[in-house]
Amino acid sequence: MSLFVASLGFGLLTAAVLALAAVGFTLQFAVTNVLNLAYSGVMIVCAYIAYAVNAAGVTIWVCALVGIAAGALISLVLNNFVYRPFQRRGTPPVSIVIVSLGMTLIFEFGTQAIAGPTNVSYSMSQGATLQAGSFQLTVAQIALIAISIVMMGVMHLLIRYTRLGKAMRATAANRDLARNCGIRTDRVVMSTWLITGALCGLAGVVFGMNSGTFGATSTDIFLVLILAAVFLGGPGEPYGAMLGALVIGMATEVSAAFIAADYKYVVAFVILIGMLTVRPTGLLGARA
Amino acid sequence: MVYYITTLLVYGGIDAIACLGLSQQFGVAGVTNFGFIIFQAAGAYTAAILSLPPDSANGGFQQYVLGWNLPFPLPLIGATLIGGLLAVPFAAIVGRRLRGDFAAVGLLVTAVMFNLLVTNFQPFLNGAAGLSLVPQPLQSVLNPLGSAYAWSYSAAAIVLAFVVYRFVRRLTNSPYGRTLRAMRDNDVVADSLGKNLRSLRTSSLVTGGAIAGLSGGLLVGFITLWDPQAWGYAETIVLFAAVIIGGRGNHRGAVLGAILVPLAFEEATRYIPPVPNDANLVPALQWVAIGLLIVVFLWFRPQGILPERRRIIAGSRGVGAAAPTAAIASPSVPESDAGLLDHVAAIPVSARSRYQGDAILACSGLRRSFDGVHAVDGVTLEFAPARLTGIIGPNGAGKSTLLAMLAGTLPATQGRILHRGEDISALAAHRRARGGVVRTFQLASEFKRLTVIENLLTPIPGQRGDSFRGAFLGRRYWGAQERENIERAKAMLERFGLEALADRYAGDLSGGQRRLVEIMRALMTEPDVLLLDEPMAGVHPRLAHQIGMLLVGLCEGGTTVIMVEHELSIMDEFCDPVIVMAEGRVLAEGAMATLRSNAEVVEAYLVG
Amino acid sequence: MSAEQAPRTVDGVELAVSELIAGYGGSPVLHGVSIIVKPGEIVSIVGPNGSGKSTLLKSVVGIVEVLSGTIRVGERDVTGWASEEVARIGVGYVPQVDDVFAPLTVRENLEMGGYLLRAREVAANVDRVLGVFPQLARMLTRRAGKLSGGERKMLAMGRALMLAPALVVLDEPTANLAPAIARAVLQEHVRQLAATGASVLVVEQRAKAVLEISDRTYVLTGGQLRMEGTPAELAASNEFVESFLGGSVEGLRAAGA
Repeated sequence: MSLFVASLGFGLLTAAVLALAAVGFTLQFAVTNVLNLAYSGVMIVCAYIAYAVNAAGVTIWVCALVGIAAGALISLVLNNFVYRPFQRRGTPPVSIVIVSLGMTLIFEFGTQAIAGPTNVSYSMSQGATLQAGSFQLTVAQIALIAISIVMMGVMHLLIRYTRLGKAMRATAANRDLARNCGIRTDRVVMSTWLITGALCGLAGVVFGMNSGTFGATSTDIFLVLILAAVFLGGPGEPYGAMLGALVIGMATEVSAAFIAADYKYVVAFVILIGMLTVRPTGLLGARA
Repeated sequence: MVYYITTLLVYGGIDAIACLGLSQQFGVAGVTNFGFIIFQAAGAYTAAILSLPPDSANGGFQQYVLGWNLPFPLPLIGATLIGGLLAVPFAAIVGRRLRGDFAAVGLLVTAVMFNLLVTNFQPFLNGAAGLSLVPQPLQSVLNPLGSAYAWSYSAAAIVLAFVVYRFVRRLTNSPYGRTLRAMRDNDVVADSLGKNLRSLRTSSLVTGGAIAGLSGGLLVGFITLWDPQAWGYAETIVLFAAVIIGGRGNHRGAVLGAILVPLAFEEATRYIPPVPNDANLVPALQWVAIGLLIVVFLWFRPQGILPERRRIIAGSRGVGAAAPTAAIASPSVPESDAGLLDHVAAIPVSARSRYQGDAILACSGLRRSFDGVHAVDGVTLEFAPARLTGIIGPNGAGKSTLLAMLAGTLPATQGRILHRGEDISALAAHRRARGGVVRTFQLASEFKRLTVIENLLTPIPGQRGDSFRGAFLGRRYWGAQERENIERAKAMLERFGLEALADRYAGDLSGGQRRLVEIMRALMTEPDVLLLDEPMAGVHPRLAHQIGMLLVGLCEGGTTVIMVEHELSIMDEFCDPVIVMAEGRVLAEGAMATLRSNAEVVEAYLVG
Repeated sequence: MSAEQAPRTVDGVELAVSELIAGYGGSPVLHGVSIIVKPGEIVSIVGPNGSGKSTLLKSVVGIVEVLSGTIRVGERDVTGWASEEVARIGVGYVPQVDDVFAPLTVRENLEMGGYLLRAREVAANVDRVLGVFPQLARMLTRRAGKLSGGERKMLAMGRALMLAPALVVLDEPTANLAPAIARAVLQEHVRQLAATGASVLVVEQRAKAVLEISDRTYVLTGGQLRMEGTPAELAASNEFVESFLGGSVEGLRAAGA
C-alpha cells in the first residue's frame, strides 16, 4: 500500500513532465498537421543547452528559461525551413514523418557529437523532502509539478481567451476559413511553433531535472509516452493531451509498483496501440 | 586486411538483402513499416537460439529459450520463417483503414517496445547483454578463424543477396507485382477493381519480414553475437534512408542504397581511427549524416538515384519522358481531347452470361449517414439488365454515396443489395468487383505510376501470375496467359484509338485521356454491372458525346450501366430510365421526357 | 422579421473583374472573364458544372492563382492578394463546403468571424448579425458541425457578416439543401444579406431560383462568359433556357411555372 502511495508521487511527476511535452506536440499537429517525431530530439537539445549554461554556474531555474528560448527558436526554424517547404510541395504525411525521423537523428546525434556520449546531470539542489505518510516529494519535485500546472493554466488561458489562441483554434479547425476571417494564418502557424517550441524546450529541461541523469538519446522512450498521451486524448486536442498525460503518467508509475519497473512503459504502449486500432481520434478527439 | 575486406563483403551482402526486403515492402507495395528492423532482429535471435546449445551448456552465463543446437542450414531457415511469421500480427495494424502516418507511428512504437521488452526480460533472450558465442555455420567442419572461411562466408552472403534480388525481381515483374504497385498508387481504386488489400499487404509484410529474417540469421552467424543495441529503431531509419536514396521501387536502387548507406557509413568507416579523447565522435557524426541524407534526398531527388523504371510492354514508340512527378501534372488542354474517340470501334461484349431476370442489381432500404447526417436515406431501386440508367440530382443528393454503397467502397449503414438475386450486402468491394459489379470514380483515379497498358492489365480477373504463388512460379507459369492479356489490352486500346499511349505513364495523360483509361480499365474486368461516377465531368463536349455512344453500345451488348451525371442533356440523349435523387432519397424514376413534366423534379433539380 | 426590416449598415462596394485568366497548377480554367458588380447589387453567376463559376469566385477572394487580368474592389487593385488580406478590406466569402468551423459553437463561429474587431465591437456585431439572422439566436451554444444544412449555411453567412463586409461572395449557397430550404436560403437569407447594403456576388446551380433574386446574371460555360443580362432578359431568351437547362423549353416552362 505504501508502495502504491509512493508511486502516486512519481506518477504526478511523470505526468507533469509529460503534460508539458504532450500539449506542445498535439498543438503542432493540430495547427500544422505535422506529426513531428523530432519533438523528442528538440527536447534533448534544449536539455543540453540548459546543461551547458548550468555547468557555467548559472542556477537551473534560469537555465530553464534558456532552454525555453532555445526550444522556441529551434522549432520555428524546423518548421520554416524543413516541414513547411515539404508541405507546400505536397509531400504526403508519411514522407514528412520520415523527414521528422531524419531530423531526430540530426538533433540527437548532433548533440552527442558535441557533448559526448556520457550522461550528464544538472547541478541543482533537491531541497528538503516533504513527507506525508509514505507519500514524499522533494521541494524541487513539487516545483516541477507546480510549473507544469501553471503552464497548463497558461495554455488554457492562451487557447481560450487570447486573440492568438482563438486564431490558433480557427486555423486548426479550418485554415482556409480562418483566412477568410482575416486571420493571417502564416503568422499564427509561426507563433504556434514558437509557443509549442517553448513548451518543448521547457519539457526538455524538466525532463533532465526529473531524470537526474540523461544522455543524447534518453528521450527516445519518452517519445512513446508523448505519443501515447497524445493519441489517448485525441491527436490535435490540447485538453485531451493534458488528460492523456495524467492517465499515462499515473498508469506507468503506478503499474511500476506492481509489475517490474522495467516494464512500466509497456502500459503506455498497450494504450497507444489500442487507441490507434480502436479509436484513432482519441477520447476527446473529433478530428478524422 | 583480409578480415576487413571479407567483413565488408559480408555486410554488403546482408545489408543488400535487408534493403531488398524493404524495397519490396515499401518501394513496391507502399507499406511503410517503421518496425522493419525487428524482423531482422527476430531472424538473428532465431538463428542464434536454434544453433546455440541449451543455455545450461556454457555454465549458464547467458539465459535463453530453445537452444536446440541445430546444424546449418536449419537456423537460417528458421530465421527466415520466423521473420515471415512475425509479420502476420503486424498486418493487423497496417490492414486497417488508418491514416498512413498514424499507422507508421504505430509500427515505430511497436519496434521500440519490442526492443524494450527483450532488453528487460532476461530469461527469453538474455536481456540487455544479448546472446554471444553463437556457433557459426559449419564451424565443426571448417575453421571459422581461417581466411578461407571468411572468403566463403562473403561469397555465400553475396550469392544469397543475388538470389534474393532475383526473387524480389521475379515478384515485382509479375502481374502480382503490378497489383502491388497499383495498391501503392491508389488503394481504394485497387480494392474496387477486385484486389484484396488486406491479403496483399499481409503478403508484402510477410515477404519483407522473411527476407529481413534471413538477413538477420546470416548476420548473427558471422558476428556470433546479437544484443538489443544492434536493432534500435534508428537502424530502421538507416534502411529507409538506403531505399529512398537508392530509388524507391527499383531493386537495383535498393542494392546501391545498401552499399552507399549502411555499408559505407556504418561498416567501411569502422576502422577510422577514433578521434583522441572522443571515441564516439565519428559514429555520432555518421548518424547526423544519415539524417541529413534523408532530408536532402527527399527534397532534391525524392525518386532516388536509380528511379523506378517505366516498363515497356506494348513496345509502342510512345514518347515517355522520365517518371512523372506528383506535383507537375502535364498541362491538359481541353481542346486536344475533343477528338479522342473519333475512331472508336465496337467494344467486345462481356463474356459473363446474360442475366435473364428483371433486376440484375437491386437495393432496398439503403441508408448511409455521416456524423448523423443522412447522405442516403432509404433508397430502394431495381436496375434492369442491359439498360443505361442515369442518376441525377443536385450536389449532395447522395448520388455518389449510393454508387459507392452499390460498389462496396462505402459500407451501407442499413439496407440490402442484391446482384443477380444474391445478397452481396456483406461483401467487400473487391469481392463484388470479382462478381462483376465494377465502379469508376469521379476524381482522377488512374494508377499514376503504372503505364496505360499496365492500368488496363491490372484488373483482369483470374490472372495466373496475380498471386504470390503464381508470381513465385515465374513467367513460365503465367507468361503465356500474360501475352494473351496484353493482346486483349492492346485490342482495347486500339478500339479506343489510344494504342500510341500504351507505354506512357497514366499520370502524364490529359484529363480526357485519363477518363478513357479509367473506363477501359473497368471494361477489362468484363463487368456485367458498370457503375460510373460522372464519367463525362470536365471532358470536352464532343468527347462526352462519344463516351455516351460507347456506353449505349455496351448496353446493347448486354452490359448494365448505371451512371451518375450532372448534365441533363446527357441524360436526355443516352439514359433510360433516369433516377432523380434529392436529399438522399429517390424523387422520381422514369424516362427523361416524362420527368421533365414532373413539377417536383424540376423544382428539386433546376429550381430549388 | 422580413428581410426589408434588417438595418442597412454598410455601403456596398463595386467589384470589377477584367479579362481574368485563372486556374490551378498553372493551367487555366477561366479564359478571360470580365464581370462587374455595382454597389448594392445582387449579381449571380450560373452555368453547368465545371464551367469555372467557383474558380471565378475563388480568384476574387484570393484562393486561386490569377494568371492574368485584374480584380478591383472599390478603388483597390486586389489582384494576387492573399485571401486574408482580401478579407481585411471588407470582402466576405462563404465557401460551398467547409463553410463553418465545425468543432466550434455557433457563438464561437460568429466571434471568429469578428476576429479583426475589438472585443466590444465583437459583442455589438454578434447582436447585429443576430438581428439579420434572428434564427441563429436560438442555437448559439450548439456545435456548428451538428447543425442542419440550412442552419449551417445561415451561420456561414452570419460569420461572413461579422466584419460588416461591403461585398459578400457566396459559392453555391443552396448546394446540398432540400428544395424548400434552398428556396428559403435564396429568398430570405441572401436578401437579408443584401439588405445590409452589401454588394452580393453569388454562384448558383439552381439557375431559375437565383434569377428571381438577382439584379443581373452572368452565364458562364467552359470558362468563358456566354450571356449576361437582367433576369427578365434572360428568361425571355430561348438560348439561355436551352443552353443551361437543356431539352425542351416549353416543357420546362410549363413545369416550372
